Amino acid sequence: MNAVNEAWRFGSGQAVRRIEDPALVRGQGVFTDDVAPAGELFLAFVRSTHAHGRIVSIDVAAARAMPGVVAVYTGADLRAAGLKPIATAPAFKRADGQPMAAPPKRALAEGHVRFVGEALVAVVAESRSAARAACDAVVADIEGLPMVMDPQRALAAGAPVVWAGAPDNICAEMRHGDAAATAAAFTRAAHHIRLDLINQRLAPSPMEPRSVLASFEDGRLTVRLSSQMPSAVRAGLVETIPGLKLEAVRVRVGDVGGGFGMKTGIYPEDIVVAWAALQLGRPVKWQAERVEEFLSAVHGRDVTSQAEMALDAGGRVLALRVRSLANVGAYPSTTSVAIQVLIGPWVTTSIYDIPVVDLHITAVLTHLAHTGAYRGAGRPEAIYITERLMDAAAREMGLDPAELRRRNMISPAQMPYRNAMGQTYDSGNFESMLDQGLALADWHGFAARRETSKSSGKLRGRGIATFLEWTGGNALEENVSVQVTADGFIELTSATQAMGQGIATSYAQLAVDVFGVPIERIRVLQGDTDRANGFGSAGSRSLFTGGAAVFVASEKTIAVAKQLAADTLEAPAADIEYAAGRFSVAGTDLGVGLFELARKQPAACIVVAAGSKAGGPSWPNGCHVCEVEVDPATGEVRVVAYASVNDIGRIVSPVLVRGQIEGGAVQGFGQALSEQVAYDADSGQLLSASFMDYALPHADGFRDFKTAFDTSVPCLTNALGAKGVGELGTIGATPALVNAVVDALAHGLDGAGLGRTAESVQMPLTSERVWRALRGDFGAPVFG
Amino acid sequence: MPLLRLNVNGRPVETEVEPQTLLVELLRGPLGMTGTHVGCDTSQCGACTVLVDGQSVKSCSVLAVQAAGRSVTTVEGMARADGTLHPLQEAFIACHGLQCGFCTPGMMMAASCLLRVNAQPSDDDIGHALEGNLCRCTGYVNIVAAVRQAAGVMNAEAA
Repeated sequence: MNAVNEAWRFGSGQAVRRIEDPALVRGQGVFTDDVAPAGELFLAFVRSTHAHGRIVSIDVAAARAMPGVVAVYTGADLRAAGLKPIATAPAFKRADGQPMAAPPKRALAEGHVRFVGEALVAVVAESRSAARAACDAVVADIEGLPMVMDPQRALAAGAPVVWAGAPDNICAEMRHGDAAATAAAFTRAAHHIRLDLINQRLAPSPMEPRSVLASFEDGRLTVRLSSQMPSAVRAGLVETIPGLKLEAVRVRVGDVGGGFGMKTGIYPEDIVVAWAALQLGRPVKWQAERVEEFLSAVHGRDVTSQAEMALDAGGRVLALRVRSLANVGAYPSTTSVAIQVLIGPWVTTSIYDIPVVDLHITAVLTHLAHTGAYRGAGRPEAIYITERLMDAAAREMGLDPAELRRRNMISPAQMPYRNAMGQTYDSGNFESMLDQGLALADWHGFAARRETSKSSGKLRGRGIATFLEWTGGNALEENVSVQVTADGFIELTSATQAMGQGIATSYAQLAVDVFGVPIERIRVLQGDTDRANGFGSAGSRSLFTGGAAVFVASEKTIAVAKQLAADTLEAPAADIEYAAGRFSVAGTDLGVGLFELARKQPAACIVVAAGSKAGGPSWPNGCHVCEVEVDPATGEVRVVAYASVNDIGRIVSPVLVRGQIEGGAVQGFGQALSEQVAYDADSGQLLSASFMDYALPHADGFRDFKTAFDTSVPCLTNALGAKGVGELGTIGATPALVNAVVDALAHGLDGAGLGRTAESVQMPLTSERVWRALRGDFGAPVFG
Repeated sequence: MPLLRLNVNGRPVETEVEPQTLLVELLRGPLGMTGTHVGCDTSQCGACTVLVDGQSVKSCSVLAVQAAGRSVTTVEGMARADGTLHPLQEAFIACHGLQCGFCTPGMMMAASCLLRVNAQPSDDDIGHALEGNLCRCTGYVNIVAAVRQAAGVMNAEAA
C-alpha cells in the first residue's frame, strides 16, 4: 500500500482513533491541577453564607496567625490595590433606555454580598489544608438584608433591591418582532394555545472543576487554567489588575476536563489567584472544590415563560408570542443577558415559516449566583418552548404532531430564508429530516409498542422535536499557523480550544486531506496566548471556523512550499507536483520531501499563517424522536427509545459527531428528568450543592441510541460545508423527552388520561412530580 | 508522621504521611501520580477510583494509612511494562469511550474491578457497576461499549 492510500484512511470522513486519547487513557493528561511547581502556595476562598447582606467588618487577624498562612486578602485590600471590577459591555438596554443594569462584579465582594457563595476573602497558605483551616478562622460580620430569589417577586412593588443602580431589579429588557401584527394574528386565529413553561436553572457540571495556577515562567506571569477562552482570560486580567500589561501575561491551557460553556470568559477567582501570585512572587494555585462549582461557577437556563401560539383552522402557525423572565442572578454579564434576550429569540421560530412574532424578554436581578453559557445557551430554552407549543397545538387540533410540524416547515425552495428575527438560514431540508426521523423511529409502529407497554402496566408516550439551532457565537473568523518542522511534523497552531470535543483530531484529519501524510505526522497546538489569540471555543464554532482555517492554511502552505521546492530543485514552480509529503518535478524522478525541504530552510522550518472567515452562522438541524414508559405506581420515567437524524452538513469525524449527539442528548435528558439547581426560598441557601443533591444522569440510564446523519445539505457559508454539532443533541433531547412524557400522561393507560391538562407538568420530571401529576397535582401555578 | 509502606503499581513505596492524608492526596502529591483525578468532594463522581488489593475504591474517601501493606493500582499501572495498553485502555480508545478524559481513569479502574469478578457482564451489569462514576461528556454509551469490548478481548486472551 502506498503512502497516499495509507494517509487517506485518516482523512476527513474517516473513523479514526483520536490523537488525544493515548495520553489520556494512560493517565498522562495534563490538567491544570496536575502541574505542581516547586514552592507553590494554595489559595482558598471564604464565601458568603448570606444571600444578601452588608459587610460590616471582616476580621482576618486570627486567620493570618494560623500556621502556614502566607497572606489573607479582602475586597477592601483589592480595592486599595486598585483592582477594577470585571467590565460589563453595556450592549443591552432597559425599557427606559438606560444601559443594562449590573452591579460591579469584583474579584472579592465589597460593601455588600449578593448571593450565597460570593467570594469574600482569599487565604493563601503553604498547603491546601492550611488554607482551608485558616478560612474557618476568618470572622465576617455581615448584616443580613432582605433577599429575593424569584424573578416574579423581584419585579413586585416593594421587593428587596439587589443593586441600588436598578431599584426595580430589571437588568435589561428586549422586545422583538411586531406586537400589533401578532395581536391581529391572535384575533383571527382558529386556535390559541398557551403554555406556561419553566426552563429550570442548571449546573453545567464539567467533571473537572475550575482550576487556576498563576506562576512565573521565565520571569513572566503565566496563568494556567481550565478554560475555553484563554485570550479572554488574559484580556480580563489586564483590564482588572492595575499596571499589568498584555505582553506581561501568558495564559496557558492544558487538558480541559469538559467545559460546556461554563469555562468561557474570566471569573473573579482567576483575578484573585493571578493577583496573589504577583503580590507574593510565588506560584499560587486554586483548585475549586465541587461545592464551589455549584455555588459560584455560572449556572445555565432559568427562564420562566408565558408562551402562546396562534394557528389557523388548517394548522398553519400564524404567530408566536412569548413573555419571558430570565433570572440572571445578582451579577449578570453581557453574555448571560445576550443568551436570553437575543440568542434564544433568534431561533424561536426554528424551522417553521412563522410570519410574525412578539417576543418580550426581561432579564431580572435576584440574589442568586450568576448565569452564563451552558450547552445550547438560549437555544434549548427557545426550542423547548416552540416544540412544547407544537405538541400542545397538535393535541388541541387532534392532529399527528409530526403532521402539524410538516405543515409549517420552511421548504428548501425558500432558502436562503430570513426568519422573523432577521436571521438568515443558508440551507436545510427540514421535511426530509422529518421523514427520515419518522422512519428511523418507526413512528407509525408506535401503537403496537404502546399496547405492549400497557400489558405491563406502563404508560407509553412518544415525543418529537424538529428544530434547528444557531452556531458560531458570531465569531466567524479564525487563523491558523502551520509549521512544517525539520524533524518530520506538521504543527497546527490555533486559538480555538480543546475541551474534550476532539477538535485536535478533526483538525489533524483536515490537514491529512491536504498534506497526504499519516495522521501521526500532525500535531495540534492550542491553549497558549504566546502562540495564538482569538475567541476560543464556544457556540459550536470551532470546526466550521477553525477547521476551515486549517484547510485554507494547509493549502497555502503547500503553495508556499511548492515555490521553495522549485528553488531547491531548480525547476519552474509550474512543473512541481505535490503528493503524500513529497514535491517532484513532473515527468522526472527529481524530488524533495516536504520535511527535508523544511530542513533546508534558513530557519529549519516552513511557517505559513492564514485565515478563513465564514459568511454567517451555521444552522444545524434535526429530527429527534423519543419514547418513554411511565410507571403509574411510582411516577418513574424511563426512556425506552431514542432516534435522531441530524443535518450537520459535511462530517469530518464520524465517530466524534455521534459522540457529541448522544452525549449531548444525555445532558438534555438531565434537564428533562433530574437536574435542578435549587435554593431554599427563605434563606437563599443552595440546596443542590453536591452530586448527591444535583442529579446528573448515571451509567445505568438509557444508552440504546439510533443516530443518523444526513450529509446531503452542506452549509453554504463556510469553506468546509460543516455545521456546528456540539449543542444539537442537548437542544433536541429535552423537548423530545418531555413531549413523550406529556404524551404518556395525556393518553393514560387506555386513552382516558389527563388530556391537555398533562401539559402543565414542569421540568425536571422527577418521579415525584410525575406521580403527583398523575393524581392531578401540578404544583403552584407558574405565574402566580 | 507515620511511616507508610505499601505497594503502588507493583513498586514498593515507603513514605511518611500525615495521618489525615487521603490516599488520593498521597498519589497525586508526593507520588506524583496525577492520572487519578478529583472531581468532587462528596465521593459521588468516582474520578479518583483506584484498586486496593484488586477492589475498586474511591481514593478520596480512604486515608493513605489505610492502604498500609496493600497493593494499590492506578491508571499509571494499567499498561504492561513494555507500554502495551491494557485491553480496557485499548477499548476506550477504539470505542470512543472518552471525550475530555477526566473521568476515564476512574471509569477504567471501576470497570477492571467489575471484570475481575464478572468476566462476561451484560450491558446492564456494566451500567450498574459504573453507577458510582460520573461522566458528563459521553452519555456513557461508548463507555459501556468499551467495557463490553474489553471483556471480550480479555476472555479471548484468557482462553
